[in-house]
Amino acid sequence: MTTLHAPPRRAAVTAPPRHRFRPELLLWAVVAGALAVIGLWWRGTPSVSGLDGWLTESGRITGLLAGYGMAVLLGLMARVPALERGVGSDRLARWHAMGGRYVIGLVVAHVLTIIWGYAVADQSGVVDEAVTMALSFPDVLKATVAFFLLLGVALVSARAARRRMRYETWFYLHFYTYLAAWLAFGHQLATGAQFTGDRVAQVAWYVLYLGVAALLVWYRFLGPVRVWARHRLRVTRVTADAPGVVSIHLTGRRLARLGAEPGQFFRWRFLTRELWWSANPYSLSAAPDGGGLRITVKALGDHSAALARLRPGTRVIAEGPYGGFTGRLGRSPKSVLIAGGVGITPLRTLFETLPGQLTLLYRARTPEELLFRDELEEIARVRGDARLYCSVGSRSPDLFTGLDRLLPDLREHDAYVCGPPEMTRSAIQALRSAGVPAHRIHHESFEF
Amino acid sequence: MKRALLAVVTTVIGLVLLLSFKPHDVTGAAQPPAALAQTQTSATPAPTSAQQSAATKTVDGDAADTRWGPVQVQISVTGGKISSVQVLQAPNENRRDIEINNTALPILQEETMSAQSAQIDSVSGATYTSDGYIQSLQSAIDRAGL
Repeated sequence: MTTLHAPPRRAAVTAPPRHRFRPELLLWAVVAGALAVIGLWWRGTPSVSGLDGWLTESGRITGLLAGYGMAVLLGLMARVPALERGVGSDRLARWHAMGGRYVIGLVVAHVLTIIWGYAVADQSGVVDEAVTMALSFPDVLKATVAFFLLLGVALVSARAARRRMRYETWFYLHFYTYLAAWLAFGHQLATGAQFTGDRVAQVAWYVLYLGVAALLVWYRFLGPVRVWARHRLRVTRVTADAPGVVSIHLTGRRLARLGAEPGQFFRWRFLTRELWWSANPYSLSAAPDGGGLRITVKALGDHSAALARLRPGTRVIAEGPYGGFTGRLGRSPKSVLIAGGVGITPLRTLFETLPGQLTLLYRARTPEELLFRDELEEIARVRGDARLYCSVGSRSPDLFTGLDRLLPDLREHDAYVCGPPEMTRSAIQALRSAGVPAHRIHHESFEF
Repeated sequence: MKRALLAVVTTVIGLVLLLSFKPHDVTGAAQPPAALAQTQTSATPAPTSAQQSAATKTVDGDAADTRWGPVQVQISVTGGKISSVQVLQAPNENRRDIEINNTALPILQEETMSAQSAQIDSVSGATYTSDGYIQSLQSAIDRAGL
């Protein structure tokens, strides 16, 4: 805790005001793409006649949309910096989860209606038709495999199954969707009625899929490699901050050029025998400076527990910086930060660096779980324009009822919330009912 | 849960609306494709020798077997040039085949007319039919001595 006493850096002031990518923009782009896909169907379909026509064409529309949706879902997870920063990694993950369920629904609808429609047209049984299609239509067998892979991933991602599974297992099972997307791609062009002889549509489809593949390779897979090549991060020391909470200090080359801002996080891959295969997201718990980085982790799972055993010198591959939970979100000169438990980590860096009048409300279950207490007090003392309120106790519904009494001008504040899901929810509720507009409430939550 | 229901209902309504805006002409889909309808009209026997003349003559290609069924074309030659191509047979076992024929065969015919040879691109999405078409066309061209 000796590096802290430098005057607080005002990142939001010194950083050039960059244009922020607006989340709605991404949504509109996705919707426009979907409309274009429907237009493709519209152009290539002369008529819809009979029960078989209705079924088959339903199958085609849902199939086209599912094919498009697959590409979009993969694109959302490609870790494109503009999206990670502008939309926020947590929101991307939520959209991905929501969209994922929808696309699975489209895929199931596509398979059922296409088989049924063809069966009606050929006057054969549904099962016979399914077998015929899978075995004799070009690339449909591969697509069938893709279908079952997707169903499998959907089942393990379902909330009920997810709870009984390790994060890492779930995470790696998700990579089968790449295989599924690849297997399903062939039949889209080989049997898709809308693509037959339509060079423009084929090229557009190739551009969509190759574009997403390029994004994945460049950002998701080569991104960490580039960071490693440039910065050579290593663990310098591991300190225990509280029962079950450790801080990991890291160093590396040219850290200033990492471009990390207070409030952001990286996905960390520690190259030890037990940890190398998983990359987990942890926020920086100290404002990044040229000298070193620090993350603080609460032992919630196997991975975070193993971090306590890290040795100095361990090589680290970091992916990032990610996350839009930074001072760029703020518009008001006054900010209130609300932290719950280990959710203090990104807010601790904002508390150090946000300009203007600051109030930090920090809640933890026990006094030992109040992390960085000395550091926070020191920051408040050095800044002079920051107030710190710590409280201890178990969850209670009226946790935030005194909020507007504490800050009579609450509605003029930007609010930053980070903590356990229930706490985040009740904090947002309290802020909303105190009259803080929704666009001034910024929160980050990770529920995988 | 409410959002999921909303998504399903919106999708279904959108789908039904989209489909209902298209014409529902039942007779149109039941007709064989134009390319195949011409089968009945061409009854001219194929000449065996290949002589060039100003008059139009028709030459049948071999029936090329494909995975989905045979493809056979017939070319009309006028003044040493292919003046038209007819498709005598093409796979038409099921709807999918007919659809492929409707889109792919006109493209193949057009390509043939402009290339004046069997060196034409196959139509993607109709690879088998294209291959059969090209094979049959080549045999017809050979037979016509072009």
